[in-house]
Amino acid sequence: MITIRILYFLIALAVFVAALLTAGTYYYLRSLRRKKYPYGKWEDILKRLTIVDRDSIEMIARDFVDETGQQRTEERDTDLDPAEIWDLIGGMKGLRELERNCAVLVDLVFYVQQWYPEALLITDRMRQEAREVEWHISRLRAAEKNGKLDDWFTDYAQRAVAKYYLMTRQVLALYKQGNFPGVMELQKAL
Amino acid sequence: MHPSQLELLFWWAGLVGHCLLFFVLWVRKRASSFPFFTALITANIVRTVTLFTVHGRASRDTYFVTYFAFAILDLALQLCVVYELASKIFRSTGKWAPDVRRGTQVLVFGSVIVALALAAMPTPPERTQLKVLLDRGNLFSSALLCELFVGMIAFSVTARLPWNTHVSRLAQGLGFYSLVGLLTEAGHNITGMVRSLALSHQLTILRECTYLFCLGYWIVTLWCNAPAPKELPEEMRRQLFTLEKRLAYDLRRLRGLKR
Repeated sequence: MITIRILYFLIALAVFVAALLTAGTYYYLRSLRRKKYPYGKWEDILKRLTIVDRDSIEMIARDFVDETGQQRTEERDTDLDPAEIWDLIGGMKGLRELERNCAVLVDLVFYVQQWYPEALLITDRMRQEAREVEWHISRLRAAEKNGKLDDWFTDYAQRAVAKYYLMTRQVLALYKQGNFPGVMELQKAL
Repeated sequence: MHPSQLELLFWWAGLVGHCLLFFVLWVRKRASSFPFFTALITANIVRTVTLFTVHGRASRDTYFVTYFAFAILDLALQLCVVYELASKIFRSTGKWAPDVRRGTQVLVFGSVIVALALAAMPTPPERTQLKVLLDRGNLFSSALLCELFVGMIAFSVTARLPWNTHVSRLAQGLGFYSLVGLLTEAGHNITGMVRSLALSHQLTILRECTYLFCLGYWIVTLWCNAPAPKELPEEMRRQLFTLEKRLAYDLRRLRGLKR
């Protein structure tokens, strides 16, 4: 005869076995997927990219660097003020999204490197540039903690955005140059 | 208490299977790689012979006390085998992988708690306390081993650590046996280990058949050689060499800065 205690035991056992089988199957399928796509699927890498307003990024970046990527030295009437930069980028939240996107950009170039070894130099450079963006944003985080964000925001944020913008141009140029599949999707995403 | 024909068959099949596996472990030189697993198989041979002898010559109580003592030894050795397999996966370079160390401690602690809770839930309808303890102990060991194997799979996949073929075959066999054992022991905890009861008897047969299947699987897979590991591509070897040189150079520069 099934008592209430046995019933509870059977329910607990069913939950336990289901949890074990689910976890086991999930990790087994994950390992199979890793074997098939050791560097991840291109679509999955692209999905990790957070959509940001590219016009705003370009506007902030072009205010800081010229067409060749060199830092502007001359004063211009059209220079953006700190409040405009803050609004365009979406404050610290927007910068954190750019930071995450930088890692995705490195992965996108590294993905190409698997069958296009010439991309190695670009991957290495992108890694360094991603570190640079991280460093600028880390400075801003420190300034935020010390209550001095307003003093430093324009300087570090604009450098970070400009670097990110140049990174996106490099990724697109690489994909176009090699005529790799997914250029259209990449252009839309970036 | 006379064993039935079927029980005798399982006894002999188990003994022959264990002896064959023991032979394979020594002849194919796997014993040095898996000392705890070899100890487990040796203990099983000793257990089969001892229990067979006790069964024919001693009282029922003596048989159960002996059975219980071997069950404790079996659980201890199975846990040692889990440790052995985990150390082959997570300590392949001689040092425990740092990103799984804390997770492993949490896994072991959590698994013991969950297995204890599960084993404490049913009240096996047995006449003696020793049998109740045995039923609960079997359920506890099966649940614990299942949890540990699933945890090991999860950590190895997350940390991208490879499974050597023989290690994975041993783990697959023990994991599968533990999972079937979990279900059969759960049944025994409800019905009790009564030979006259058809369901209880069928559960015991199912567990024995599963174990014999696993024994056969281990004999075949341990006899075969593991596939040779993939060699590092020349290009990657060169990259690593360059990186090592660069690191050594940067380290010297950093030390210079410190002074």
